[in-house]
Amino acid sequence: MIAQEAQYRDWMLAALTGDAGAYRMLLAGLTRHLRSYYARRLDSGAAEDVVQETLIAIHARRATYDPALPFTAWVYGIARYKLIDEYRRHKRRATVPLDEAKDLFGHDEAEEAIARRDVNKLLAKLPPAKRQLVSDIKLDGVSIAEAAQRSGLSESAVKVAVHRAVKSLGEDVNREGQKRQGGDADR
Amino acid sequence: MRTDDLIDQLSARAEPIRSGAVARLLTAAVVAGIAGSALVMMSMIGPRHDLTAALSHPGMWTKLAYTFAIAAFGLWLVERAGRPGAEMTRPALALVLPLLAIALLAGLQMSAPGADMPRLVMGRSSRVCALLVTLTALPSLAAAFWALRKLAPTRLTLAGAGAGLFAGAAGAFVYCFHCTEEAAPFIAVWYTLGIAAVTGIGALLGRPLLRW
Repeated sequence: MIAQEAQYRDWMLAALTGDAGAYRMLLAGLTRHLRSYYARRLDSGAAEDVVQETLIAIHARRATYDPALPFTAWVYGIARYKLIDEYRRHKRRATVPLDEAKDLFGHDEAEEAIARRDVNKLLAKLPPAKRQLVSDIKLDGVSIAEAAQRSGLSESAVKVAVHRAVKSLGEDVNREGQKRQGGDADR
Repeated sequence: MRTDDLIDQLSARAEPIRSGAVARLLTAAVVAGIAGSALVMMSMIGPRHDLTAALSHPGMWTKLAYTFAIAAFGLWLVERAGRPGAEMTRPALALVLPLLAIALLAGLQMSAPGADMPRLVMGRSSRVCALLVTLTALPSLAAAFWALRKLAPTRLTLAGAGAGLFAGAAGAFVYCFHCTEEAAPFIAVWYTLGIAAVTGIGALLGRPLLRW
């Protein structure tokens, strides 16, 4: 079961009885998921348009939600349909792999932002030259050859530097995790 | 427009939705569709002259039950197809029941001693039956599409096929009141062919007509 199911379903049922406050919470919450879902599948210009189109579709077709069925599956059905429709309009591939509602609700813009912030915090612990290498290769997908050219190092030196940096970051994370667990046990 | 403004506008229009809205819509479509199909049948070919007497024949009830069951499961399919995220496997599987029943009955009649096989299968109207079923079904097909366009089908070809299945069976149900054939093999072949034709038409029309 998707984590947000119970909350969203409650809001939806309230919205169907005319509760504007619950409806606003629902639409605002869904917008975050839709943005992240479409951003990963469409050009940035088109993504926001499709988010809006999907919100309008959810509004116009809200009578088709059957309270006996999962709400997240209903929203996902609409989101996926609008994605396929957008692909067709631009004569791009007309099929979308058969994924599940998890795909829409698994990622959350807020969660992604937190993850990004954590990564940046970790990277800040590295010396600037290494930080640049790790962020280029591991986050931006720059090739080793290109990173070597940019930094003036040999390719094998780049590989070693990145490997060591990632390893030391990993150890940092583990140490912090253990510290936190130890702290919990003390209490 | 900014998405935040859109959310404001939409949540300001959170009019309550009466429960059973979909059921009412489908009921309206069924009533309108069958009325239209009845009108077409009456004006095109008319009812059989011995209709009152025929209502006591088991053959009449066989074809009425067969077409009614398929129409009911077809309508169930349309209802599921119109709701995003709803499964369609159960109504699709349920269709096996009437098909199996008519096949069984046809087999029984054909294997009876002294059965006139060609007569049981071909009857007197095999050349026009499927075509007349298809024509009778058209108003029901239009009504089913009208309803689906107000719902939210996400698999358009499948939804169109469901509408065609319902309409074909509803048309065949109405056609029962004209047709004098009562042998199960005839019904199993020619009625089913007419229903399948309308299902195919519905499947083809799904993509162009049901987009939203």
